[in-house]
Amino acid sequence: MTIYTRGGYALPGSSLAFKTGSWRVQKPRHVHGAAPCHAVCPAGEDAQAWLARVDEGDVQNAWRTLVQANPLPAITGRVCPHPCESACNRGEMDAPVAIHAVERYLGDEAIRHAWDFGVPTPKADAPRVAVVGAGPAGLAAAYHLLKLGLRPTLFDKNPSAGGTCLTAIPSYRLPREVLGAEVEHLLSLPIDYRPRTILGRDVSIEELRADFAATILAPGQQQPRPWSVDGVTPKDLHQGLDLLESWNSLQTAPAPFSAAVVGAGNTAIDVARVLKRAGVTEVHVISHKAKPGPGVPEDDVMPALAREIAEALEEGIHIHEHRGVRRLILRGERVVGVEMVHMKKLRRANGRLSRVAFDGTETVLHCDQVIPAVGQVLDTRGFESLLDAHGWFDLDDVMRVAGQRDVFVAGDAGGNAGTVTAAVGQGRVTAGAVAQLVRGHEPTIEAPRLAVPFSALNVHYHESAPRAEERVLPVAERGESNEVDLGLDRLDVEAEARRCLSCGNCMACDNCWTLCPDSAVLKTREIASDGSHYVFDYDYCKGCGLCAAECPCGYIEMIEDL
Amino acid sequence: MSTETHVDIEQLRRRQPRFQGLESGHRACLGCGEALAARLVLESAGPNVMIANATGCLEVFSTAWPESAWRVPWVHSLFENAAAVAAGMEAALKHQGQSAKVLAFAGDGGTFDIGFQAVSGMLERGHNVLFVCFDNEAYMNTGIQRSGSTPHAAVTTTSPAGRERMGKRHLKKDIVSIIAAHHVPYAATATVAYPSDLRKKVRRAIDVDGPSFLHVHSPCPLGWGHDSEKSIAVSRLAVETGLFPIIELERGELTGAMPIRHPKPVTEYLKLQNRFRHLFADDPRAREELEHLQALADYNIEVYGLLGDGPDPLDTSGIDKVYRGGAKWA
Amino acid sequence: MVEALEGSQALARAVVLCRPGVVAAYPITPQTHIVENISKLVADGVAKLELVSVESEFSAASVAMGAAAAGSRAYTASASQGILLMAEVLFNIAGLRIPLVMHCANRAIGAPLNIWNDQSDSMAVRDAGWIQIYCADNQEAIDSTVQAYRIAERTELPVMVCVDGFTLTHTLEPLEMPSQEQVDGYLPSYRYARSLNVRHPISQGTLVGPDVFPEARHSHHQALLNSIAEIESANADWAAVSGRDGGGLLTVEGDPDAEIGILAIGSTIGTLAEAMDEYPDRPRVRLIKLRVYRPFPINALREACRGLRKLAVIERAFSAGMGGIVGTEVRASVPGVEVYNYAIGLGGRDIPLGIYPRILDAMETGDTGFRILDVDLSKLPEEDR
Repeated sequence: MTIYTRGGYALPGSSLAFKTGSWRVQKPRHVHGAAPCHAVCPAGEDAQAWLARVDEGDVQNAWRTLVQANPLPAITGRVCPHPCESACNRGEMDAPVAIHAVERYLGDEAIRHAWDFGVPTPKADAPRVAVVGAGPAGLAAAYHLLKLGLRPTLFDKNPSAGGTCLTAIPSYRLPREVLGAEVEHLLSLPIDYRPRTILGRDVSIEELRADFAATILAPGQQQPRPWSVDGVTPKDLHQGLDLLESWNSLQTAPAPFSAAVVGAGNTAIDVARVLKRAGVTEVHVISHKAKPGPGVPEDDVMPALAREIAEALEEGIHIHEHRGVRRLILRGERVVGVEMVHMKKLRRANGRLSRVAFDGTETVLHCDQVIPAVGQVLDTRGFESLLDAHGWFDLDDVMRVAGQRDVFVAGDAGGNAGTVTAAVGQGRVTAGAVAQLVRGHEPTIEAPRLAVPFSALNVHYHESAPRAEERVLPVAERGESNEVDLGLDRLDVEAEARRCLSCGNCMACDNCWTLCPDSAVLKTREIASDGSHYVFDYDYCKGCGLCAAECPCGYIEMIEDL
Repeated sequence: MSTETHVDIEQLRRRQPRFQGLESGHRACLGCGEALAARLVLESAGPNVMIANATGCLEVFSTAWPESAWRVPWVHSLFENAAAVAAGMEAALKHQGQSAKVLAFAGDGGTFDIGFQAVSGMLERGHNVLFVCFDNEAYMNTGIQRSGSTPHAAVTTTSPAGRERMGKRHLKKDIVSIIAAHHVPYAATATVAYPSDLRKKVRRAIDVDGPSFLHVHSPCPLGWGHDSEKSIAVSRLAVETGLFPIIELERGELTGAMPIRHPKPVTEYLKLQNRFRHLFADDPRAREELEHLQALADYNIEVYGLLGDGPDPLDTSGIDKVYRGGAKWA
Repeated sequence: MVEALEGSQALARAVVLCRPGVVAAYPITPQTHIVENISKLVADGVAKLELVSVESEFSAASVAMGAAAAGSRAYTASASQGILLMAEVLFNIAGLRIPLVMHCANRAIGAPLNIWNDQSDSMAVRDAGWIQIYCADNQEAIDSTVQAYRIAERTELPVMVCVDGFTLTHTLEPLEMPSQEQVDGYLPSYRYARSLNVRHPISQGTLVGPDVFPEARHSHHQALLNSIAEIESANADWAAVSGRDGGGLLTVEGDPDAEIGILAIGSTIGTLAEAMDEYPDRPRVRLIKLRVYRPFPINALREACRGLRKLAVIERAFSAGMGGIVGTEVRASVPGVEVYNYAIGLGGRDIPLGIYPRILDAMETGDTGFRILDVDLSKLPEEDR
């Protein structure tokens, strides 16, 4: 029994004996939701997480966090179409965080300082896994196998690793020294790397399956898609992909007075820009789709990177949008022009979208050469036995060849990668599936990540701030191979990291701690940096919901607690 | 996902990197703005203070014998005499040569109405006391009756809406101007929606050697009729609409005003609260009152020059910007 | 040292001798001279204290309360309407058990407005939980002031020292002021166990529910009853220091063996004592001077009334619609004694020596009903008599 105190006084803080938590019908809890950048990243990168490390001022730790998913950030930071930025919630406020530029910065810093990946050397008796193709998918697969404690052997037909990055991406977009350095940095890990080894010539798929616990095929799509107009092909046809490869390796390219590139993707733009650099006076791009711009529906925009298109236009390349090639104008077997026609994607009576050419809109474009850049196909040599009737790999959910226990496919060869970043992601996913397999588990796929929507954030606590724009080399200084995008400096990178809204993850702003009327949010250290540094004291939490309402990041949710 | 924690919460509570002048276990309603405001004031004031607290919610919910949520010397005497009790405490400390600062805490009733005379006397006599008015705009402790602070047209149990009335007929008393007219060194308004501003003003007021006054807008979910998690949002909107200007007055002169970069229509504020629900009825009188409230907000914006020009880190948009590690609260 | 002093001036000096840290007051006749004199002592540098000239009696009591709670000896004074305005605070101070001393310069309460002496004011707050001491003369008022601080601080109960307005406060007479050494030797420096202190930050003035409220009230009641011993020892100890016995709880004068008695409080006692000498043909009575009214000294009263047949209780206030206040309580306390009860001198009406035979005559009638003895009904319209 409590004895009455004279005058009814009470001791300081004695209210702690009264547990107001019993009033509660709902309670807050921390929920780490996926930031949109994370949810959509083909490589599985959690950009929010590494931007947070940058914001904390620890660039090396940021890179370490980044390479948990993607070991090639200097490359992807340059060539990825960055769907992360399209998805970035910040876009609803002002402009998306320049995630690609921060990624590139981190990759470059890692190369400059030769930062350690922190991947342990696998045990000598760890299972061996074969990876065929040292492009982005194969490199990523080998890296992730290593991280998972397995011993990868990486085969490539070329003398140098890099795959498509090496053969198809011009150096003004991806300088060879960056590509080489990052690949070399990765290959400095204990990966058994075997260049100049061609599947079907030097080693057979059967031998691989016999010698290795599993095989990941990542040969890419090295063959240009066959191209003709109503069965007609010009005699001196150069495929865009071949042109890029010879330019990238030999610095040579045909140089007619004028050329028309057919296609709307990165290859088409790359080819056009290479032609310009090779001395072609008039370079045209004929695109089914529209140039990016305000009001253009997303599915009608050219798939090439917007900034590449902008730079191509700067360089004087003509883009003919919403045009198709109806006819080649030949003099003999030589091209003198193309007949173009207006085209648009329309929804037909059956509900499907399809391209429609409009009669009466035909125009003639004079040109000396037509260069198709309409996609690539698989070079099937060496694994014909694994292909389906259509000459494709038939893959299951974990990217394993249907009916084969131990053969997985990553990258363009699987048919659904399309970008370097997606290839990296598939390398990671297949490596994970292999690890499960060799440990005796049935491989499973990662659950899709649901993005935290803009509406879940309390953006009141964020100030509008301009996006840092990369410096771009002036057209006159671009030369044949100078890198055009110059990246961001440290200050800009830090400013971009600060612009991150930290969707779905705690940014340690102290709002919950400060604004709880019941002091039921406690900090576990003086300066918090993430959600692990706050705890709810459910003895006193009355469940008012203020912490959740005022969390800028959508990191706190209220759940029933009756 | 497990929300159970495995740290020693009691230990942790003692190690919080802030002064916890008002402890947990108090019996304020869910989302109480006043409880938050009082803790924030003490967080900034620190332990070397003593409080005279007027009767009201704050007093009742913090000290149900044998428990007290306070960690500073605290005395509650009566409804109308917090300023006088504080004056007596200050006189005693002065006589003893002690340095502790005396604070007086009261609600709007204890400041605007029944306690007004004592406040005025305390200010006039120049006591070194910081008087903090936690303004929840009605007599909440007795069940939401109108006070001199209740805004125009707000419904309370003694200013109901009906066929003949649209809530409170009179205006909210301009207390801070009245206080400032005492020529006191420092008088300011603040709100729980801008804690860093509030704490800065507490420090300024504490540093004043003489009477100072802080008027803290403190939402009451129960009395205002809004969800408990909306307390901050409501208070923020009171500022962003211009209905509760955030200002500083020194010796009666306006020396600071928090600019509103993008003023919001008063309806944004009013529609969140049931006490103004009758103003959204299809009724010409309701429309007139909405216009009246908008005019009052416009008046404040004009009189205090709240529009400012260009971004200002201390305006309503900038002052509560979050930073990793909570740097904004420093 | 004997000096010719006005009552208020003497009281001011007595207060200052007790070394209060804070004095708070608001002017009201007839209390004003006390505070004016303290103000002058402060202005002259004689008194080192914080003088807070507040804006109302409500704040006067509140400031004094805050000061006492914060660890300083404090003082206030008031009268009449002022006492009523501070009534809420008076109850509060007592409930918080804060040791405070105040003077009530007794004055009537309006309406009709009247600035002269009776005791309606202090009687109206007799239930506030304070110790109430009624002084018969200014010497006693001086001595009671010093004792009051010791009683208050030892019992943690506030003490109201009541002095009749004008009759005492404005009267010039030879008085013996104690020396500072005497007071310092008698009254230790202020100490209050629950003083507000940043090192021991307790909370005072909590909300107490039905589960403990009766116990809180009981403890207060018991504290007042227990204070009787403290009041007696304070008186005895002061008598030893000063050589003057202020009268303890009550004193018996006149003929201690008389079977007829008169009980009075305050300055009326002096008039009645003088009247006994003035009317030698009338019997001398047992004159009971009730000094301490709260706590009500029931045992001392019974002892003083032993052997009495009739007792007249003379008072300067009454409860309209019922009758005497002190008389009602005395009647309930001394069964077997026939108690007569009269109010006199309301609103400053002169109390002539002739009141004595009038009281004795009234007691002869055997009518024990309360009445205002000096009322002149001819001044009232017929229907109001």
